[in-house]
Amino acid sequence: MLETQAAYADTAFSNGYEFTQGTGYTLPEYPFVAPPELVSGEVRRYPLVIVGGGIAGLSLACALAHQGVEALLLDEDNTVGVKGAASRGICYAQKTLEIFKRLGVYERIARKGVQWSVGRTFAGEDEVYSFDLRQQQTHSLSVEPPFINIQQFYIEGFLVEQIQALHRSRPCIDIRWSNRITAFEQNEAFATLSLTTPAGDYTLQADHVIDCTGSRSPFRAWCGASVTAKKGDDRWCIADVRFRDAPPVERHTWIEAPFNDNRAVWQHLMADGVWRIDYQMAPNCDPEQVSREDVVRARLNAQFKRELGEDECEIVWVGPYAYRSECLDGLRHGRVFFVGDSAHVVSPFGARGGNSGVQDADNLAWKLAAVLQGRASPGLLDSYSAERHEAAQQNVLVTNRTARFLRPADGAERLFRTAALGLARKHLFARQLVNTGRMSAPNTYSRSAACDKTGGIATQNVIFSWADGQPGELVDLLRWAGGQLLLLVFGALPASAARRLQALAGHSGLRCVQVLAPGQQPQAAEHVIDRQGHLRATCRVAGASASGWALLRPDSYVAATGQRLDTSLVRAVGAAIGLQEENA
Amino acid sequence: MKSSLHFQDADAFYECLLDAHQGLGREQSELLNARLILILANQLGDTAVLKACIEAARAGQPD
Repeated sequence: MLETQAAYADTAFSNGYEFTQGTGYTLPEYPFVAPPELVSGEVRRYPLVIVGGGIAGLSLACALAHQGVEALLLDEDNTVGVKGAASRGICYAQKTLEIFKRLGVYERIARKGVQWSVGRTFAGEDEVYSFDLRQQQTHSLSVEPPFINIQQFYIEGFLVEQIQALHRSRPCIDIRWSNRITAFEQNEAFATLSLTTPAGDYTLQADHVIDCTGSRSPFRAWCGASVTAKKGDDRWCIADVRFRDAPPVERHTWIEAPFNDNRAVWQHLMADGVWRIDYQMAPNCDPEQVSREDVVRARLNAQFKRELGEDECEIVWVGPYAYRSECLDGLRHGRVFFVGDSAHVVSPFGARGGNSGVQDADNLAWKLAAVLQGRASPGLLDSYSAERHEAAQQNVLVTNRTARFLRPADGAERLFRTAALGLARKHLFARQLVNTGRMSAPNTYSRSAACDKTGGIATQNVIFSWADGQPGELVDLLRWAGGQLLLLVFGALPASAARRLQALAGHSGLRCVQVLAPGQQPQAAEHVIDRQGHLRATCRVAGASASGWALLRPDSYVAATGQRLDTSLVRAVGAAIGLQEENA
Repeated sequence: MKSSLHFQDADAFYECLLDAHQGLGREQSELLNARLILILANQLGDTAVLKACIEAARAGQPD
């Protein structure tokens, strides 16, 4: 995929939901290769099959490729991009960017994507408030920015190429394009998948199936998965447009836009100078009508207060959609793991859809690798559902609150919104009530058997110094640990503790590193220097030079922390690899 | 949530509140109340106290 601007195809206005198939971009096409089963007729058994090559499925496959885990990835078409009627992600949050760095695609995303710092919120003709992220004190210790805006298909394309590159050096991920699943069943011993391809149909068996097919997942019905859902009547229509004379690089949010019948409008920039303008529609609107070219252009003209010629405003993609929120009650059903939109669907406020899909994938990938490569007990896989279901419920809660602010019921709900907007113009505190979306943030895991009560928290990608003084990032340290647990031991060690650490370091599945404050002497073979104290801070280990430890998982979460290298550490390691407490 | 008397001058507060609504139509009065609730809630801040206050107010509804 070219780093330069993607070529545009003519936008096909076809007056309906099918228009959201979108032909506004020319996307890469990947060749269909007839699966060997079609020739041999053999029904093969695969340890791991990922169904769906969207952002979640590709992130999972890429993480597995890094660890040399063999998997089959099945995708129903031969490209990445705007298939299906769901809105497509444009905003990637810090935690997700850190994961992309570990996967090796971050640099391309940062080069291609855009960042903004000025945001303005309007109601009526007035600005309610504005902010400049550069002037705000940031509490983030991460090397990565708070977010980057970029079209989702670019990330998917980068992931495909990264998987292919890893596959060339060590064959692991077999991507099968144009393989569509038509039937599924599972029993005690294996799952059976039926597939259709341009060259014929075939059947395969799998030990583990990862459903990344998205919001219309057929696996929900096949597995009899129960779903907690809430259907809203809020309708929106996206217009992705490119202007000859670009507006200022700022995020603009109208809660009540006079040019959109006092309904909400979002406007922000992504790569290639394309602006996403998202209009809230009337609940009873006709999706076909609101996405017709002349109607989209009329909205744009009203917004920019003049007739925009075709040469100065190019419509790249239009997609009407309705908000809904759905969450599976369990993310594992037998051999099937639900990841991304197939597990949960939320309204797009705060970019919690794509970001949580990538974080689901990152949570599951290391567990699958550890179990399939014999470093962890199969019971560890159940913690995926416990951890990511908690995250999904949190995302549902947060996005439903935003949805309620943006589409208040008549009566008291609208009254309080009017009151909050009125106050926000004058009073700082009331701005916090103006809810235009709360940016996706890493979730805390409080119900997981794999995390101690001292853990379950995400770290940030902080900087430190290697023993030779070279600068390093936590992501490098996690890469060095290579899918094993990473024990960071802070401060100076008494001789007995140093011996214990040495014994621990010999065990497979655990890498140990001593983290020194400047001036402290190392007692362990592997050590780094925490010059700024950021490693200690992000691991929530108290003090400046006092001893303590943090057990980090390959997904950069803290599994547990403690003070002494005693049985609490042994228990934490056991829990983090899925061993049940004997007396539990 | 405090149930015992905390006003420095309850009568004066009550009078001040009624005065603020003088001359306002129903909608304006409702909006004033809504703004006032948000301002006062921010003075309290404490989630548990605010929740208890809302529950106490709901319990005051006639059946």
